[in-house]
Amino acid sequence: MATRLEGHTFRRFDGELARLHTEILQMADLVYDQIQMALESFQQQKLDIIRVVNEREPQVDAMEKSIDNTITEILAKRCPVARDLRVIMAFSKLVTDLERLGDEAAKIAYITTTLYNNEHSNPSNYLLRDITVMGKFACALLKEAIENLDILDLERAEKLLNSHDDLDEEFQSSLRRLATYVLEDARNVGHIINIVLVMKSLIRIGEHARNLAEYVVYMVSGEDIRHAEIEQT
Amino acid sequence: MTDIAKIAQPSNQIERRKGDRRKHTRIHLSRATVSRDNRRTVGEATVSDPRIHCTDVNVFYGDKPALRNVTLDIGCQEIIAMIGPSGCGKSTFLRCLNRMNDTIECCRVTGSIMIDGQDINDKSIDVVPLRAKIGMVFQKPNPFPKSVYENIAFGPRIHGLAKDKVELDEIVVTSLKRTGLWEEVKDRLDQPGTSLSGGQQQRLCIARTIAVNPEVILMDEPCSALDPIATTKIEELMDQLCTDYSIVIVTHSMQQAARVSHRTAYFHLGDLIEVGTTEQIFTKPVHQLTEDYITGRFG
Amino acid sequence: MNKLASSRPKTIDQVKASLPKRHLSEKVFRSIGLISIIISLMFLFVLFYTIVSKGYTAFQQTFIQLEVNFDERLLDPEGTRHRDALSTADYGGLIKASLSKLFPEVTTRNEKRLLYSLVSTGAAYQLRERVMDNPALIGQTQQVWVPVDDEVDMLIKGHTLRDVPEAERRLRDVQIAWLDQLEAKEKLALKFNTAFFINGDSREPELAGIWGALMGSIYTLIVTLILSFPIGFATAVYLEEFAPKNKWIDLIEVNINNLAAVPSIIFGLLGLAVFINFMSFPRSAPLVGGLVLAFMTLPTIIIASRGALKSVPPSIREAALGVGASTMQAVYFHVLPLAIPGMLTGVIIGMARALGETAPLLMIGMVAFIVDIPSNILDPATALPVQIFLWADSPERAFVERTSAAIIVLLGFLFVMNALAIILRKKFEHRW
Repeated sequence: MATRLEGHTFRRFDGELARLHTEILQMADLVYDQIQMALESFQQQKLDIIRVVNEREPQVDAMEKSIDNTITEILAKRCPVARDLRVIMAFSKLVTDLERLGDEAAKIAYITTTLYNNEHSNPSNYLLRDITVMGKFACALLKEAIENLDILDLERAEKLLNSHDDLDEEFQSSLRRLATYVLEDARNVGHIINIVLVMKSLIRIGEHARNLAEYVVYMVSGEDIRHAEIEQT
Repeated sequence: MTDIAKIAQPSNQIERRKGDRRKHTRIHLSRATVSRDNRRTVGEATVSDPRIHCTDVNVFYGDKPALRNVTLDIGCQEIIAMIGPSGCGKSTFLRCLNRMNDTIECCRVTGSIMIDGQDINDKSIDVVPLRAKIGMVFQKPNPFPKSVYENIAFGPRIHGLAKDKVELDEIVVTSLKRTGLWEEVKDRLDQPGTSLSGGQQQRLCIARTIAVNPEVILMDEPCSALDPIATTKIEELMDQLCTDYSIVIVTHSMQQAARVSHRTAYFHLGDLIEVGTTEQIFTKPVHQLTEDYITGRFG
Repeated sequence: MNKLASSRPKTIDQVKASLPKRHLSEKVFRSIGLISIIISLMFLFVLFYTIVSKGYTAFQQTFIQLEVNFDERLLDPEGTRHRDALSTADYGGLIKASLSKLFPEVTTRNEKRLLYSLVSTGAAYQLRERVMDNPALIGQTQQVWVPVDDEVDMLIKGHTLRDVPEAERRLRDVQIAWLDQLEAKEKLALKFNTAFFINGDSREPELAGIWGALMGSIYTLIVTLILSFPIGFATAVYLEEFAPKNKWIDLIEVNINNLAAVPSIIFGLLGLAVFINFMSFPRSAPLVGGLVLAFMTLPTIIIASRGALKSVPPSIREAALGVGASTMQAVYFHVLPLAIPGMLTGVIIGMARALGETAPLLMIGMVAFIVDIPSNILDPATALPVQIFLWADSPERAFVERTSAAIIVLLGFLFVMNALAIILRKKFEHRW
């Protein structure tokens, strides 16, 4: 069930919340775009796209600042409570995750340039295969999380959080595979380090996506399920 | 396993452990929001050591029910806030607690309100000692049109709390000091209480109430006629007083309830909808009506 | 948007269009109010002017100076100086002798009678009092001012006109001639009329005073006050603060309000039937008058007191109850002090009404002709307004000015009482 943010007797509050929500969604879309482009360039050696990614990075930071500003204003003027307060607190936290996601995109872009702009030969396709698989998983997770930011559906967030962690599993097997490649040909070490770094980024992207889902759960139900596993033990 | 694989092992294991937990963390959202149609009280209405214990209190004005089946405990040393839209019965409930409803002709109260093992609605209960035990502060500051001193001395005098003038003076001074009014009025104790400012008048009324040394203080929108600074002073005063008294406050300002109270009770059209700690009510209310009210989505 | 705004006339234009009419109606209303006030002030002025202009002369009385020889042969032939002898002596003879001495030419019996009638019959009593006070006067000759007859008084004051034909006036031409001679010799003079303030009623206008009526009124009011003040207060406090709301109390309230509208003469009938016929209280006594007036003023006092109690803000009662005061304590310490000014005003206004009341007193016999000044509440007495009624009924011309003078005194008392009400209210209100 989607969650409604509007319905305040004082309608301007509705407008302000809607504006904040839109800004968040715009930023999420931009970040998603950045990650996709960075991955694409990494896989297909499109260095011109890297430039775009790097150029748009400050834009993400600017959006973060703008959103923080909007949130401060709303807090000052509306003194939100209950769901409004949770939504705004979650937005305020979630914008940090979005900014980190942007950073991951920039990181991937940087690795891409170092990977292709050196005297060594380009990595062979079988080295990049795992990235492709993991990239797909990460992007799917992020896409789902971002889509849910729009409709703020508790059940979807729940489903996402309870879903099987394909990304992690893939990472484990990739590591094993890459280790064998290193043994086969030690010259691959340079490439493989870069590839592992990108994989790590993808893992983090997956984690941020889960964080987004956790914030949605918090917004809608008020339940703070972050670090739930630590509390359970 | 190769050396490199071994080197990769530790981080590998950490990742795995985290990933495993993720997989097995089942989120179960038990706190489903209660729909608007449910009029039974949700939340913790009772406390382990109540000062006042109300069970199934109903109030009727003539045939019209003003309050239905309210079960609520007032704990010791706590500030409990009653919030809700006008006409929701919160003031009516407050006035039940010291039988101020007696002054309204057609008002009828059923159910039990227990304090110290006695039902205050019992016919054998004398309202005079009851009201000495449960003091009240009203919406509009209503000092007696007498001197500041007389305002405070009245209660102790009629109850015989002071043996002589010296003791009476002491009670007056202590009450004024507790309310932070002493420094402001010590030079004009003989001037009429009505000559003070609104905030000072209200603090004078609180001083008058605590001069009788009650156990519970009922406050009926004590700050609605005051400016923000005076309001803050009263709120600070309440915070000080709650170490010795239980305070029940009815307020229209949700922010005030959020600021001062430990527990909050939300009333809606004569029903007690939700009770809970103030933190819970203002961050994650369970009942839809509570959420609608405090987030400003009524109507 | 613009279209909408332009198609509709601007509010300010509509307001301006309606302004002249509004101002006009306001002006009309204000002038109507002003005119009514002027008219009522005019009536008041006419009333006061008539009364004062007719009445002020009564505060003066014409006196005649006689050279009285306190002849021992006439007063105390046996020379015992015994009080009984002195009090029964022929003081009229002294006056007659002095008058004859003034006008030796008057010899005929008829003329002598006319001459002697110039001086008031009260003059003889005045001489007796002097002698009784100071028997040493006997044998001496003194200049004494004695009051003249009321007809002479009227002539001197100009109320009786000289150019009226002799047959139509009470004074003969010869009497006027004597008076002119006396005036020429400065034997006649206007002096302050002490008798008016210290005497009881009398058939002779120059001897009639209001003191008896005033004392009657005061005794009556004291009885009224003693009865109606506590009863009215207690009733009002009970009804307002303690009484349960039920139909019996409603019935009592309605009846109190109705009693306030009952014509006062009905209360007089009640007093006559209950106190005089049934309980055999003395007739014409201030006690009965006071009882009847207490009945009459009670509803007024109760209603005014209840109004005063009602106007005390309920928050004061709540405050007192809130610190654990009983209803009694709340009322006694907090409500009554605030209501007292209003309640006192009610009492004084009730008293002022009682002071001016005539009709019920007529019914219980306080309308009798009573010369003696009452000394307690059981003595027969009359009251100021009744005295005015009696004098207004008298044929003598001199009573006209005395009636007005009595009215002035009555109004003065009412004025003082109302002023007292205002002063009391102010005093109590200023306490806080």
